Amino acid sequence: MIIGTAKETYRADAALLTTPPQRVWMAIFLAALLVLPFMLDAYWLYLVCLAMINVGAATGLNILTGYTGLVSLGQAAFMAVGAYTVAWLERDLGTPMLVNLAAAGGVAAAVGVLVGIPSLRVKGLYLAIATIAASFILHFVFVHWVPVTGGASGISVPPATFFGVELVTYFRLYWVILPVTALMVLGAANLFRTRIGRAFIAVRDRDISAEVLGIPLLRYKLMSFGIASFYAGVSGGLWAYFFRVVTPESFPLLASIFLLAAIIVGGMGTILGGIIGAIFMTLAPEMLRFVVEWVSPWVPNAGTLLSPLRTVVFGAMIVGFLVFEPQGIAEIVARVRRYFRLWPFRT
Amino acid sequence: MFSLTRRRVTGLMAGVALVAGLGAAQAQEDDIVIGGSIPLTGVFAFAGVAIEAGMQDYITQVNEAGGIGGRNLRLAYEDTGYKVDQSVAVFNKLTSQDEIHLYYGDSTGFAKTIAPELNRMGGMIMGGASFASELNDPEEHPYMFMAGPDYSEMIAILMEYIAEETPGAKIVLVNSDTEFGRDPIESSRAKASELGLEIVEEIITPPTAVDVSTEVLKLRRARPDYTIFHGYILAPLPEFMTQAQQLGLETKFMGTFWSMDSSIWDSVGEPADGFMGVMPYRYYYDEEADAPTMAKIREMRPEYQATGYMQGYLSAMLMAESARRVLDQGQELTGTNLKAAMNTIQDFDTGGLIGIPISIPGNSVPVGRVYQYSAAEKKMQPVSDWITVTE
Repeated sequence: MIIGTAKETYRADAALLTTPPQRVWMAIFLAALLVLPFMLDAYWLYLVCLAMINVGAATGLNILTGYTGLVSLGQAAFMAVGAYTVAWLERDLGTPMLVNLAAAGGVAAAVGVLVGIPSLRVKGLYLAIATIAASFILHFVFVHWVPVTGGASGISVPPATFFGVELVTYFRLYWVILPVTALMVLGAANLFRTRIGRAFIAVRDRDISAEVLGIPLLRYKLMSFGIASFYAGVSGGLWAYFFRVVTPESFPLLASIFLLAAIIVGGMGTILGGIIGAIFMTLAPEMLRFVVEWVSPWVPNAGTLLSPLRTVVFGAMIVGFLVFEPQGIAEIVARVRRYFRLWPFRT
Repeated sequence: MFSLTRRRVTGLMAGVALVAGLGAAQAQEDDIVIGGSIPLTGVFAFAGVAIEAGMQDYITQVNEAGGIGGRNLRLAYEDTGYKVDQSVAVFNKLTSQDEIHLYYGDSTGFAKTIAPELNRMGGMIMGGASFASELNDPEEHPYMFMAGPDYSEMIAILMEYIAEETPGAKIVLVNSDTEFGRDPIESSRAKASELGLEIVEEIITPPTAVDVSTEVLKLRRARPDYTIFHGYILAPLPEFMTQAQQLGLETKFMGTFWSMDSSIWDSVGEPADGFMGVMPYRYYYDEEADAPTMAKIREMRPEYQATGYMQGYLSAMLMAESARRVLDQGQELTGTNLKAAMNTIQDFDTGGLIGIPISIPGNSVPVGRVYQYSAAEKKMQPVSDWITVTE
């Protein structure tokens, strides 16, 4: 309970942003996102766009794993379903971009629900294995359903168009990726103010008790799978527009592990955690490039010698966060907020 | 007393970063920069490291000889981990930092991903570690090239050799279940029927297959004269060969460029003896008289250099030659000019890196030679002449 924020209405109690500083920071953050593309070069814009795509997918996985407690290693496969849906629609039907993205989410959600069916019987690691199996099955489908997926060489996606404008530069794509991702994150944050979201949390905390409380497990578990896969599908659709080619190798199992690592490092079961985790996992290896670059005047052949070290350092950073910040990076943010609660009267 | 406070440490770090930044920015303004998304970590690192060395060595030689029109060549490269998203990140980073007209990409996936951007920019040509047949299409990919035959052409070279040695031979194709592996299957069928060879079985395995006993049984049923692997580096080739030997199969095993480095076969030992494959370049230890380039390489690097080194070396050579031709004509370095200049390369002498003069009519250098591994000498030895294939 923060001093000076007495809540007089239920509405205020359930608000997303409860304190004035929070609102100010959020406004600054949003303003920064709007200014950002005008200040960045292609490299940084690329990274920001990629990070946002990963934020969408990680937030989806966070709903499933962080909030509902269902471990999934299939998130990348659902992204692939979304990406293929967009690629196929764009190639064969030429439907508008927003329709394609929605369809990508829809198809991925349908597949997700199907994959989620075993979740009523199996939990934890067993479910993780079941979802891995699903991603292998999907991979098989991508390789062999040649008329739709283009087989091993995949589909080249024509550029997205929006009211006649071809979205070929990162700058233009940014204005699609940003609002879509923002909407998805906002949706996720709002989800946990509703009965559905709270039911997810109840399922995570103890599924038997949740059932006793009147939460039909199958329906809610499948719903969680559906929503998570929807997020993955839309992100995968954005990915398809972003990279413009989708092949069966675009979304390896490693990408699922990447997303799972993102929410664990960022902080499972918090919206902020999914966001920070995805940004960290996307940007940290790139930041380490600059370290390599800085030392290169002194180390001959630094690129070749130090690049393997970059991977090691990145791995060590992840382990470090797991050991010293087991609640995730989001916990650091929470701690900073607590610190400033009585500021400047007590620090 | 000077004590380390947090503020001082931060200040120091900022100072170091500043100095480092200045140091990094020392590079010459008018350098001709070759950009590179090169895998120095990950599954393809063994090739990436060799490629980088090969490119650097050629660039050093050009610069020592006065550069291109007085301008030095420079390789600006970063590690990609053999991941497409990182390769694209590196591409964007390097193209934001330098004016780049020549680029080395690390994978088929990357080449396909960046192709629309390349066509849009029109400012550079790109070679790389991928020999994908799909990229060997000057219509679709006007700014791409590859420093060797594409995968279909590699198999075609092998089949030309087979048709010469054993007319009407029976062949089994073993391909990995990847884009890389499946690449030449269809064209191989066409080439086989054109040459009167018979494909008696096609086997697809997972890329990291360990247990191959069922596949070997298929081989035994098919009794092929030749078995052609594609889409692997090493595993599961040794396993196949060992088991086939135990079953007393007479088939000869063949592979394509990325399986042809002799150092990887050294560790396999005896079962590797007799393995054949297509190689577009000479080996490091090839001491034929008409190869001054090879002598030069041995002088620069006293120890064995892998096949990736030769690939990087030739890639840099073709890039430099194209840039030289464009600048000699007084033209600007654009993708179209560079590619047009590259296509004027005819009967070009690589100094023996490739045994015959090469031409680049399209996107590839459709030349190769069949080599065979000798376990006793731990070397690949040529068993054919240089074979040129044209569509």
